[in-house]
Amino acid sequence: MNRVEELENRVKVLESKLHKEEKVRRVLMDRVENSVASTGNSFGLFENNVLLQKNVEQRTRELKSLLMEKEEVNRKLLHEIEERGKAEIEVSSAHRKIEALVSSIPLIMIEVSNEGIIKRWNAVAEKVFQIESSEVLGMEIYKCPIRWDKDKINELLRRCCSEGIAMTLKAVKFARTNTDGVLDLTISPIMESSLNFSGLIILGADTTEHVLLERQLAQAQKLESIGQLAAGIAHEINTPAQFVGDNARFLDESFGDLERILLLHDRLLDSLKAGSPTDDLVKSIEEMENEIDLDFIRKDIPNAIKQSIEGIGRINKIVRSMKEFSHPGTDEKTGVDINRAIENTINVARNEWKYVAEVATDLDTGMPLVPCLPGEINQVILNMLINAAHAIAEKFGKASGSKGVITIATRLNGEFAEISIKDNGAGIPEEIRSRIFDPFFTTKEVGRGTGQGLAISHSVIVGKHGGAITFESEVGQGAIFVLKLPLRDGMESS
Amino acid sequence: MRRILFVDDEPMVLDGLRRTLRTMGKEWQMEYATSGREALEILAARVFDVLVTDMRMPGMDGCQLLNHVRELYPHTVRIILSGQSDKEELLKSIEPVHLYLSKPCDAEILKATLARTFAVRHLLENDSLAEVISKIQSLPSLPSLYYEIIDEIRSADGSLARVGDIISKDLGMSAKILQLVNSSFFGLATHISSPAKAVSLLGLETIKALVLGIKIFSGFSSSDLPCYSIATLWDHSLATACLAREIARHLNLTQDEIEDSFLAGLLHDIGKLILLDRLPEACGKIAEVASSTECPVSQAEKKVLGTTHGRIGAYLLGIWGFSESVVNAVAFHHCPGECPNDALSALTAVYLANQCQGKNDPGNINKTVNFDLDYLSKSGIDRIEELLLTCSDPCRLGENGGCEDSFRR
Repeated sequence: MNRVEELENRVKVLESKLHKEEKVRRVLMDRVENSVASTGNSFGLFENNVLLQKNVEQRTRELKSLLMEKEEVNRKLLHEIEERGKAEIEVSSAHRKIEALVSSIPLIMIEVSNEGIIKRWNAVAEKVFQIESSEVLGMEIYKCPIRWDKDKINELLRRCCSEGIAMTLKAVKFARTNTDGVLDLTISPIMESSLNFSGLIILGADTTEHVLLERQLAQAQKLESIGQLAAGIAHEINTPAQFVGDNARFLDESFGDLERILLLHDRLLDSLKAGSPTDDLVKSIEEMENEIDLDFIRKDIPNAIKQSIEGIGRINKIVRSMKEFSHPGTDEKTGVDINRAIENTINVARNEWKYVAEVATDLDTGMPLVPCLPGEINQVILNMLINAAHAIAEKFGKASGSKGVITIATRLNGEFAEISIKDNGAGIPEEIRSRIFDPFFTTKEVGRGTGQGLAISHSVIVGKHGGAITFESEVGQGAIFVLKLPLRDGMESS
Repeated sequence: MRRILFVDDEPMVLDGLRRTLRTMGKEWQMEYATSGREALEILAARVFDVLVTDMRMPGMDGCQLLNHVRELYPHTVRIILSGQSDKEELLKSIEPVHLYLSKPCDAEILKATLARTFAVRHLLENDSLAEVISKIQSLPSLPSLYYEIIDEIRSADGSLARVGDIISKDLGMSAKILQLVNSSFFGLATHISSPAKAVSLLGLETIKALVLGIKIFSGFSSSDLPCYSIATLWDHSLATACLAREIARHLNLTQDEIEDSFLAGLLHDIGKLILLDRLPEACGKIAEVASSTECPVSQAEKKVLGTTHGRIGAYLLGIWGFSESVVNAVAFHHCPGECPNDALSALTAVYLANQCQGKNDPGNINKTVNFDLDYLSKSGIDRIEELLLTCSDPCRLGENGGCEDSFRR
């Protein structure tokens, strides 16, 4: 504005000067007229007058151009004022937009000053923590009333302040009035310049619902795999149940027959003791022996008993494996006997492979317990085993009668437990090798597989266990999948 | 001596069967095979009456084996004894199967099933006819009903109740559905005689898979023959079913017998359907003989085929696993006196109902009804007129229309 005033003043000065000059001109003109009127001949005066007139015209021109310059300046000024007004509106609307944006972020957002004072507490934070912003604004963050692991979070906040680096923390549990929740937290420093630290932004995503859904999904997948196996398991139980039942009935009937013979033998014994004649009894015993086919009974009872015991053993084995396989999954990693998990999986899936393949195991007996999610690891081994059986069925065909071989081996390899599943099936064609872990990618006919098996296996081994899954294959020769699980459970951090 | 071949890839199952059936050794000659291939070798050497096979076996599975047997040895009754419980796998196997038993199967049930199958063979001593019947997988339906059920199943709001109604009106569909339901295919424990109940137990999804996927039903396309008018066959069957049920109620039969009476009434002329579908030339001959000698159709059948439509239908139902009570009622519905069992039964009800309905049969020229009074008095019925008067009312009211409502009961 100073320039405007300055220019205005200058214009005023010029105006007043112009005014004065005009007065002078008029006085002079009066004088000239008077002198012309009073003197008849006044050439000198005329000359004087022309000079003066020139002078005045010159001055007038100068003043006019000054006036024009003033108007130009004025116009520019007005324009500038207008522009500034627009800019101001833009700034305030941009400000409103940013505010709207910030408040629409579906994340918990807490801003903390470099003194640790809470400066911002958004609506999401209010809702998730059930704490009003008025209760906490101006409060020190370390003292805020969120019921979470204070020691751990405060430690993280301090590190963020002192080291000026962003920190993330997943699955932070916190307590609320009704239900407890889970958060994913990111704490980022606000740096005004590379050295000037002016506070923190805490962003938090409420993952309670997500965690719940994930758990339900895991449960659904488990049920699905049990459902898939149920028919096979029923078949594995029904077969021994059939012959155990038949054998029991046979034993029942044969015991009745033996009893009849024994009665005759008792009578024979009595007769012998009493010294009575025994010819008739011996004859009826011989007849009875023929009638009940004693030779067959004596030969077959031990077999019936042996086979029944074996049948019951088979039922027990599959029921026990089933129980361990579908062990109510914890969502925490526990030490798992991988060899046993493999044997259980082979048992529960027997009906899926036994018509097409033999399964051999080569298990490292020195394998320590491996920290993992037992249900999910079982699921992965099952997927691998069923895939191997399908690959063999594909190669050998249904009616050929010859079987393939699946070999499952475990090895301790440095910091990793290695599980390898090898088959001599159809192998994996070159062109699909890069896609086999993609979700929904499947080469199986519709209804045979969801195409999720390998994708899930990959996410379980790599994502959830920090392991690795690799494979090698030769078309027509088979494939080998190798799963690596770290023996030490790594902490998740970034 | 009847011959049975058992096939199972688990030798211990065969050992168990050998032991538990050992007491039947005097009547039955049993052989055992551990694979489909071995079974075919044994079948090539000797004639077997029944084949009992496991379903899942390495190499040739039970279904493949049965398909071979159906082609090579059609007269052999084909039974599956399997521990399989996967529904999709089961559906694959229903085509070549007469009867399905699930493991673990009680030895007494196995024995009873085999005994019933052999008993059914007595009904039909004509081997070439037996072969024709053993090959039947399903019987044609009345075209209008066939299209009705296809439409109903395909429609977005298809209802189980309506599907049940349609199937209940058709001989072929009812017989097939009940064969499946009662053959422990679907693990249903109770014995089912009502087609509508069978449908609701199976559920719409399974019915869809059966009808659209496996195509267990088909529409009738043969030309209408004079003494086997298709439309009247359906009308007559339904009316007989309703009347037989009424009679069974009035005779104070058990609930099972009442249901069997209805079912046997519906299916009593299924033998005619078999003849029409599989032996149309024979039908023509029978019609000729019947009209030229002015004798009843069943007598003409005896002259031409050596047996009656009753026995033909009963044989199919027998190897499909229908209960003895239904099989007998169908077999002897024209001649109850020939039935080995003369106690009051579903046969009595069906016999009476059929005789009464005969009055309305256009094929029956003299319109008189003669009853086998000897049989009836043995069964303990003396006042027939009174019984029929009270029973025939509800059915005469609505012909088929009156029956439909009672289907849902």
